[in-house]
Amino acid sequence: MLAVEYFEVECGEKTGAEFYKQIANDVLLDHNLLKVINKLHIFIDPKVPLFIATGTLKKITSLIRVRDFANVNPQEGKMTLVISEETYLAPMLKIFWQRFGKEHVEQPDRFTVILYDVKDTPEEIEEIVVADPSESLFKDLIYAFKCIAPEGFRLRKETFGNNRFVFVASENTLAEDIDTLVAAKFALMGETP
Amino acid sequence: MTLVPVTYRGGIYQHDIVMDLIEDLGGYVVQKHVLAQEVVLQCFVPRDDIELIREISRPLFGEVIDSPLVGTEIAIVSPSLEIHHLPHPSCDIAEYTRRLGAKSNMVGMARGVGKRIAAINDEERDVINEHDIAVLALGNFEHCIEYKMPNLRRGIEVPIVLCGGPDKEALQKIVDPPVEGYVGNVGRFMHRTKESEEIGKLDEIIAEITRVLGKKRDEIAKDPLSVAPARLMNLIREKVPAIHEVTSPTPLTVQMTGLRVKLPYDSFAAAIRQVEIEDGITIGDVADVVPSRMRDYIIVRVRPFSDTNVVI
Repeated sequence: MLAVEYFEVECGEKTGAEFYKQIANDVLLDHNLLKVINKLHIFIDPKVPLFIATGTLKKITSLIRVRDFANVNPQEGKMTLVISEETYLAPMLKIFWQRFGKEHVEQPDRFTVILYDVKDTPEEIEEIVVADPSESLFKDLIYAFKCIAPEGFRLRKETFGNNRFVFVASENTLAEDIDTLVAAKFALMGETP
Repeated sequence: MTLVPVTYRGGIYQHDIVMDLIEDLGGYVVQKHVLAQEVVLQCFVPRDDIELIREISRPLFGEVIDSPLVGTEIAIVSPSLEIHHLPHPSCDIAEYTRRLGAKSNMVGMARGVGKRIAAINDEERDVINEHDIAVLALGNFEHCIEYKMPNLRRGIEVPIVLCGGPDKEALQKIVDPPVEGYVGNVGRFMHRTKESEEIGKLDEIIAEITRVLGKKRDEIAKDPLSVAPARLMNLIREKVPAIHEVTSPTPLTVQMTGLRVKLPYDSFAAAIRQVEIEDGITIGDVADVVPSRMRDYIIVRVRPFSDTNVVI
């Protein structure tokens, strides 16, 4: 848990809390989310039962551009892109097809894309935004917390925004004053609303 | 002659000598696995002859290991088949018991999750009752286990080994009436068991299962079975050729007091009942042949001596 500034699991049962700390660590590590979470406070009360996860996120660094994973080599009448990382290949091709048309884009193998008769300069191509990782972040977080929360807690409330997230789950109807409890958990982390 | 469960591990070269020997001594080979150049036999052999088998298999570099779980079918019961419980820890436990010779089946409950909403249905209950023992892999909270345990164990008649997050003493305190075995500090977790400490926990589960099964064996010994289930397995293999067409890894699964036959009940039950064991005594005379709740399989339950007055 190097990257996380604050990480606590609060629970009436001590062994349960330890196990859940381990579970949360494993799941967030598996989903590659530890690097985006700044503070995390999990509160579990098996008696109600209730599961609350509150936390803050780090500033998501930047958008993924072509230059982040490809080299653009201008040649006469064409431009060769050498791909070093395949993760964003598919969305990049989609953008190229839309922008230049399929007849101008060729992909001879996995790591090479060739653009023919393109008017843009190599610098402009390099600056094209391919993906925004923060778009799927909320979905990823919710999925991870669904794995962490005890199973069967199907009544959920999730909020996300302003670099904060709240995930509340229970198997019973959530109490109306749940927001005050959530605010109290934020206060524990030293965060004011 | 007491038959004891052992595992033989050796090279594939001339392993038929060992198989013939086991059969000549009056033992039974329950399962045979051929893995590349290695062969693993799970078998029952007479206690006094283990040394003889060791002796004969020495030139073949074979080894004979005690494995008390051979010839048992274990249900690993998990509250659901979701990512919360699978593959860790339920599959880890199932795999570990399998490695030591047991046939383990995973039973994922439809509504075993949560606290208030946890429940078991009749199909799950019946399937679990077809096994020799049920290992319940529950969660991390004492309060939840205390609350849901009476619901989950309703109607289960086979011995239960309870695994949960709280320590053993806490589990013993909260479960009432007590179950047969407890293993603490093995609740829900989301990583593979590979640290020595975690493997130690799996060993603890095996030890607990072995202890509970040992108790069950002692109970059975007081009123012995009319015929050894492993013997029925050999007979069915000989006399019901359709069993060779079944593609399951274990078409005939030996249990402590019976046998699971993976053939459709409607078409094969009568044939199995009529298989003659010895002197005109058929399987139908000494065992109940009933439909299983697992697919359309057959369960053969051997009746004890006090019921049939024969031991063969």
